[in-house]
Amino acid sequence: MMVPLPPPPPAYEAPAPERSIATQGDLRVAAALTNARVRVDSGFRGASIVLYGAVFNPTDRPADVVVVVRGPDAPVRLVRKSRNLGVWLNSRPVLFEGAPGFYMTASTRSLGDIADFGQLRRLGVGVDHLRIDAPEESSTVTRYGVRDVVISRLGEDYLDWRRAVIRLREAAALYNTDPEGVQFVDKGLFRAEVDLPTVAPTGQYFAEVWLFQDGAPVSVSNLTLTVEKVGLERDIYEFAHRSPWLYGILCVLLAAFTGWAASRIFRRN
Amino acid sequence: MNWPFLVILGAVVGFVSGLFGIGGGFLMAPILVFMGIPPTVAVASQASHVVASSTSGVISYSGQGLVDYRIGGIMAGGGALGALLGVEIFRYMRLLGQADLVVAVSYLLFLGVIGSLMLKESLTEILRQRRGETAPRKERRRPMWLYGLPFRMRFPRSGLYISVIPLIALGGFVGILSAIMGVGGGFILIPVMLYVLRMRASVVVGTSLFQIIITTAITTVLQAGRNQTVDIVLSSLLLFGGVVGAQYGARLSGRFRAESLRAALGMIVLAVGVYMGLELFVRPGDLFSLAPGVAG
Repeated sequence: MMVPLPPPPPAYEAPAPERSIATQGDLRVAAALTNARVRVDSGFRGASIVLYGAVFNPTDRPADVVVVVRGPDAPVRLVRKSRNLGVWLNSRPVLFEGAPGFYMTASTRSLGDIADFGQLRRLGVGVDHLRIDAPEESSTVTRYGVRDVVISRLGEDYLDWRRAVIRLREAAALYNTDPEGVQFVDKGLFRAEVDLPTVAPTGQYFAEVWLFQDGAPVSVSNLTLTVEKVGLERDIYEFAHRSPWLYGILCVLLAAFTGWAASRIFRRN
Repeated sequence: MNWPFLVILGAVVGFVSGLFGIGGGFLMAPILVFMGIPPTVAVASQASHVVASSTSGVISYSGQGLVDYRIGGIMAGGGALGALLGVEIFRYMRLLGQADLVVAVSYLLFLGVIGSLMLKESLTEILRQRRGETAPRKERRRPMWLYGLPFRMRFPRSGLYISVIPLIALGGFVGILSAIMGVGGGFILIPVMLYVLRMRASVVVGTSLFQIIITTAITTVLQAGRNQTVDIVLSSLLLFGGVVGAQYGARLSGRFRAESLRAALGMIVLAVGVYMGLELFVRPGDLFSLAPGVAG
């Protein structure tokens, strides 16, 4: 039984400001990406998303900027090892219906100092608060002839599984929290840089730029960008997935040719 | 992944395989796993490394007329069926999140047993020579059941007149192992051909390599087609190093006595089997891991 996937992020649609944006003398943030199409070179060091923005702060109290970059949602399958009769075995795969393929926050200082737990949870800001979709009841689904357990968000070990997703993704540099990722380059002008590893998923990304003051969000700017991969390894990857049989035959021919060539070269010596 | 390292790794494993006259698949997969490459990718990618090293082997044996294409072809037929079955088993286990278990258990089981047998046999031989005793006469007869089976064929090059059923079964079994462990299967083929089938000893290695090429080639295509786990960049880097290393290893192998080489190989095989099996008993660093499937 398939539960329909929840709507795509951003999880939280910013309410339209009650006061017009055009109103001068208002506390607000505006931001733009240096490049709305990011090309990740799969062979090398990845790429980065660079974002510039301005804070209009007519008040005399300081404000904080938090940048959240989210990759496309995709289901995640996990297994957990447990000990049976002295042997460590994997459990049946557990399925989360959707987790961001990439999630990164950059801020002017640590998130906990900017806003309190409830506020961050409500906005879905921070790795601890990101949305990982799970239905209220656990169930099993059959995919590719394998029965997976769909984890329930009310289950007692839900938090363990959720933390595992975050930990594994953090290890792969797909999830990250950078408390110093937003730097002010001039008064009111800030710059944020978010690194994309080579394994980052491709597709539509969402960037939210929040402005917090006194622990409450006062303004938000939503941006979208497209991440695509380029480079030789990416071409090979695409080829391997588009025509896997031809790819396999090529691999074998290449291997056989190398073996043949080596025996020719070395016999002559 | 840093590529000069992979070429050197290929060369070292190739050197070892040339030295001992083996495909080296059983050694390569564990090293790749140790380096952090997922077992599923390691097993599938290095099957093509086995294709390359076996090809250059077959060419040199074939030049000397030491390949029995007839028997090799029949075994390869069984190998193709085994590879088909093995890749499907592997695919299912991978989706179930149990591929690591299957790889660990098969390594522990097959390499553990074969390594122990080789070590025991070669150490006995070395001790016997130290004491100056002569080798006892070996049992020359084939097992009787081999004669009772139907569909017998003549294989003049191997000096055999036997049923094709055990040949297909042997090929099929090795085909399954080839898909699951990413090995050529020479470590099982050669003893069985030599001691059970009693093929002419001079054609055993060439013929087994011929069968291995066909089986691993089919495995590679199937793994790529069904599981998309073959990494051509990884396997190319390994095999460029591998074919060169193998040539130097083969030149050096003449300097050592056969028993010492077999004892050393037995130790390596056993160590690899135990190492791969340890994973089953040691508490993992992280209890959770990502399973392949939906997210690719």
